[in-house]
Amino acid sequence: MNRAGFVHQALCYSSDEEFLSGTAGFLRNGLDAGDAVLAVVREDNIALLGRALGSRSRHVEFADARDWYDLPSRTLGRYHAHCGRHGGDRRVRIVGEPVWTGRDAFETREWARYESLLNVAFAGTGHWILCPYDTRVLSGDLVRTALRTHPEVAVSGHVAVSSHAYADPADFCAERDGQRPPRLPAGPGDTRFDRGRSAAVRRALRAYAGELGLSEERTHDMVAAVHEVVVNSVRYGGGRGVVRLRRDDDYVVCEVSDDGASGTAPPEGFPGHLPPGPPVARGHGLWLARQLSDLLAEEFGPSGSVVQLYFRLPRPGLRRTGAASAAGPPPGRARRPRGR
Amino acid sequence: MTVVPTQKTVGQMRHGDHLLLGYDTDEQRESVLAVFLIDGLASGHRGLLMPPADMPAAVALSFLEAYGCSVDKEIAAGRLCVDPHLAGPEGLWDLDETIRRETGRAVDDGFLGLRVCTEILRDRAGRGLKTLHDSELLLDPVFASLPVLGICQYDRRIFHEAELTPLDELHHGRVGADDVWHDDLLTISRTFAPPGLALAGEIDDTNVTALARALHIESGRARTRGANGIRTHLDLCGLAFIDVSALRLLVFTALELHGSGGALVLAGVAPHVQRVMRVTGWDRVPGLRLEPRGEAP
Repeated sequence: MNRAGFVHQALCYSSDEEFLSGTAGFLRNGLDAGDAVLAVVREDNIALLGRALGSRSRHVEFADARDWYDLPSRTLGRYHAHCGRHGGDRRVRIVGEPVWTGRDAFETREWARYESLLNVAFAGTGHWILCPYDTRVLSGDLVRTALRTHPEVAVSGHVAVSSHAYADPADFCAERDGQRPPRLPAGPGDTRFDRGRSAAVRRALRAYAGELGLSEERTHDMVAAVHEVVVNSVRYGGGRGVVRLRRDDDYVVCEVSDDGASGTAPPEGFPGHLPPGPPVARGHGLWLARQLSDLLAEEFGPSGSVVQLYFRLPRPGLRRTGAASAAGPPPGRARRPRGR
Repeated sequence: MTVVPTQKTVGQMRHGDHLLLGYDTDEQRESVLAVFLIDGLASGHRGLLMPPADMPAAVALSFLEAYGCSVDKEIAAGRLCVDPHLAGPEGLWDLDETIRRETGRAVDDGFLGLRVCTEILRDRAGRGLKTLHDSELLLDPVFASLPVLGICQYDRRIFHEAELTPLDELHHGRVGADDVWHDDLLTISRTFAPPGLALAGEIDDTNVTALARALHIESGRARTRGANGIRTHLDLCGLAFIDVSALRLLVFTALELHGSGGALVLAGVAPHVQRVMRVTGWDRVPGLRLEPRGEAP
């Protein structure tokens, strides 16, 4: 089967056999067609695919979904970088299995948004992404959402049908925006800023990061990301605003809000979600803020904007979830499946 | 190349200062001396140049023309003069007496003080630089008691840094070129080997225009330096923070230089700055060369 244009399909499976019949043939066809072929799946599925593809698996690049799907904005950046490296004139064919277990409601919301945004980010490319959903472990709600974020549903290795539930990404994201986390309450440590006073915000951020014991690297990320949002508020949000810093068990939350400016239109499309264009264009600031933070919730309007940046706190004893390689080489690259 | 911190910029010098200038290029020496002497003209001081060879005053001072100084006119008025004393075999022996006498003469002629520039010659320095040490030692009371300020010039292509370190104690520290820009967040200074700019501190929306101006002027200097392709070198070792709009300016500058066959070299880029450049996709801009921190140039 050969297709032109971007293809984004969901594959719902409930057994190893269904997983393999949906993915192995897809990958083989890709190799036959000379595509660059990548499989980002769970560790057990890497082993399954390795056995099924036999010696041909050495031409497939494998990555562990646990490493690859760390944070939505970064995963999008990673796919973007991967297709930039391997695409060129070639089609990049991907089996990409997002990780849903262990996510809280906010994280799940952002990952669903990510699935929808793939349709925008890769529109105009000829790449092909097939996303397996394991119905044995995922809730019916997640599977129903998959049908809204994927234009097509693969029903076997060679047949796909349009998803009747598919929602336009703009509508889907708008709907998700309705479920934003609540605003932070005012507090004595709030930092007000206005034009030319972003250095005070950076100082406050460094001090707060120091109190929390954040690593030097994450402190730099937090300062850079929040600064760009502050500069946006100064430029487009009426020239002044306030930064609030809080922490909960999992995250540091930095909220930047302003009162808006009359006559300034809110940014169009999906601000900061999609890789920016040429150097001279706008839009690098929010992209950077999304890539360097762990999660970002935003609301832009003529009467003000609120952006909340989340930075995951290190959890002792668990493997590091901070992103040591934003949009850089993916972790677990060039992994080889075990058991051929 | 050893970088020695400067205690004072030339624009901060005042009466009594006896400072050491270790320079790597003629451009560096001339840019410091030009500011020193022209500041002197503005302050009612006489400028005295003691060059390493016997040459006509107008020739020895000709580098000042590029800084907008009418050398012939200033020499005729006695505001600038040249003394080949140091070029002689015994030049260092009575340097203190010479400066004492010249200072007195400048005051008698109605000047408010004397600015003296001495170029130190290695082959006059004596065994183990003994003659030089004695001479510098004798200079100290002269500077301490008279309306005179001076710069002792040491060519670092001839004197090793290890030889200069003990000489620091015989001066009131080292002198360097004036900062191109200095505010609460950012210092932009010129570098000479390699020629370019050093950025230290933080760059954001408040001072990005100062960076733009400095880059523009530096590109102009790089053009007159000629060579093959214009390369502008930025030392970012001391850069703690740079935001996206300032980085965009660097990218824009690099693309412009690339268009005319040149490049913008960023040296000593910190890992977190590199990360921002990677995320924005600006690490692979044509004309932009990154030399990360800790990597030999």
